Amino acid sequence: MKTEFVKLIDVTLCTACRGCQVACKQWNEMPGLRTKQQGSYQNPPDLQWNTWTLIRFQEYAPKDGEFKWLFRKDGCMHCTDAACVKVCPSGALYHTEYGTVGINQAKCIGCKYCISACPFDVPRYNPETDKVYKCDLCYTRLQGDQQPACVKSCPTGALTIGLKDVMIKKAYARVKELGGDANVYGDKFVDGTHVIYVLGEKPEVYEHLPKSPSVPVTTMLWKDILKPLSLLSAGGVIAGSFLHYIIHGPKLPDEEQGQEPKGGE
Amino acid sequence: MRKGLIQATDSFERIVHWCLAVSCLILCFSGLGIMFHSLNFLGEPFGGLKSLKYIHNFTALFFILSLFFSVRMWWKEAGIFVFPEDLDWIKSAGGYLWHVDKVPEVGKYNPGQKMFFLVVALGGAAMVLSGLIMLFPLSIPAALVRLMYLIHAAGFVAIFAFFFIHLYLGTVGSPGSLPAMTTGWVTRAWLKKQHPKWLKEMEEHGTLVVYGEEKSSSHGH
Ligand code: SF4
Ligand code: SF4
Repeated sequence: MKTEFVKLIDVTLCTACRGCQVACKQWNEMPGLRTKQQGSYQNPPDLQWNTWTLIRFQEYAPKDGEFKWLFRKDGCMHCTDAACVKVCPSGALYHTEYGTVGINQAKCIGCKYCISACPFDVPRYNPETDKVYKCDLCYTRLQGDQQPACVKSCPTGALTIGLKDVMIKKAYARVKELGGDANVYGDKFVDGTHVIYVLGEKPEVYEHLPKSPSVPVTTMLWKDILKPLSLLSAGGVIAGSFLHYIIHGPKLPDEEQGQEPKGGE
Repeated sequence: MRKGLIQATDSFERIVHWCLAVSCLILCFSGLGIMFHSLNFLGEPFGGLKSLKYIHNFTALFFILSLFFSVRMWWKEAGIFVFPEDLDWIKSAGGYLWHVDKVPEVGKYNPGQKMFFLVVALGGAAMVLSGLIMLFPLSIPAALVRLMYLIHAAGFVAIFAFFFIHLYLGTVGSPGSLPAMTTGWVTRAWLKKQHPKWLKEMEEHGTLVVYGEEKSSSHGH
């Protein structure tokens, strides 16, 4: 990997202006779909095939503290050991030279393997196109030496992008500055994600944020063990049959000359 | 057809067997094309991987039907083990692996075939069930769907390997077996070697159908 980029989301700086959410839609030319008032400022209620990043609005009232809002920009984490890439049969999901996870919709066959595999519940399916959609960290913009649309639009500095080690250092420095429960989220899971958070509270406080995400065990068994085993065992059987033939020989009917001693009576 | 050949399978049996075999093979190879990036090209002749997915899904319907008829047809003869004769056969591995002076006599299906049948029946059912769930992953909890992928892959490991054993024993490994699937007529010598007890049973019950012989003699007793 040549230049590994990391996008840092400092949720403590986010004011929920949703500039990133809008910028993402604009740059990627994704339509808005009509939604209903759900009694929350958060809109739409969840990631959608046409909404690749979303500000989650969470009302947080700790037992021994004051009520506060928690805002978190949700979206693809661009895992190094990405479960979605592991399961994608068509190569539609792939690792880019920036360490991010791109998606080539032309190749997607709509199998939805990635949806079940992703530990962050990110990819979304559009039945009309029979394809899956998610953030690609503005791959084409990165290639043109541009920042992703969300980072570009963020007025508070909550979103920044840069070289991996620089950003990780920056994240830890910020956590130290914040103190308390503040922590860095992402650099240790699934071999490190290329989107990392500075969280003001413990990870378990945030809704829809897995505490310790990992590639599902069943997914690993499937792709790393059973998949190669299917060819290995078939190959073993073919080799075994051949050996059986040349060592033991086929099971031949006994030669019987002329009439059977006993007929069909 | 040569005189003296004995009918081992009827046409319905053979048609179901072929349907099961062909659909199973199409499923195996389209599945391989979907599972391995290096085999994605298997979809090319049909217009891409997405078409291969559709072929896989529609063939599954065909497979489900064939499996249903297979199980219904063969369950009594191949799904149930009979003791102690089947155990004796297993102890000597049917004379396939080492030299055995006298292979224990078994009926229409030997325990090896029964095991194969059970793997196909149960494995096939597991494949159908997990496959159906894999078609609708969004309405089922992700952890369960992931388990289905695992079952589907494990079933493939078993069925694909077993297929080659079956192919070998049905052809060069046991000459004379193949006609049971093609024409249905086998030689008496083959039947005597492979299924002596079945031969005796058919003789006793007068159900033996011998090619070129008068009806009266095949029913005669
Ligand atoms: S967060 Fe999910 S969709 Fe994004 S790279 Fe990781 S596994 Fe793939
Ligand atoms: S739905 Fe598309 S992107 Fe997801 S695993 Fe299947 S082919 Fe790949």
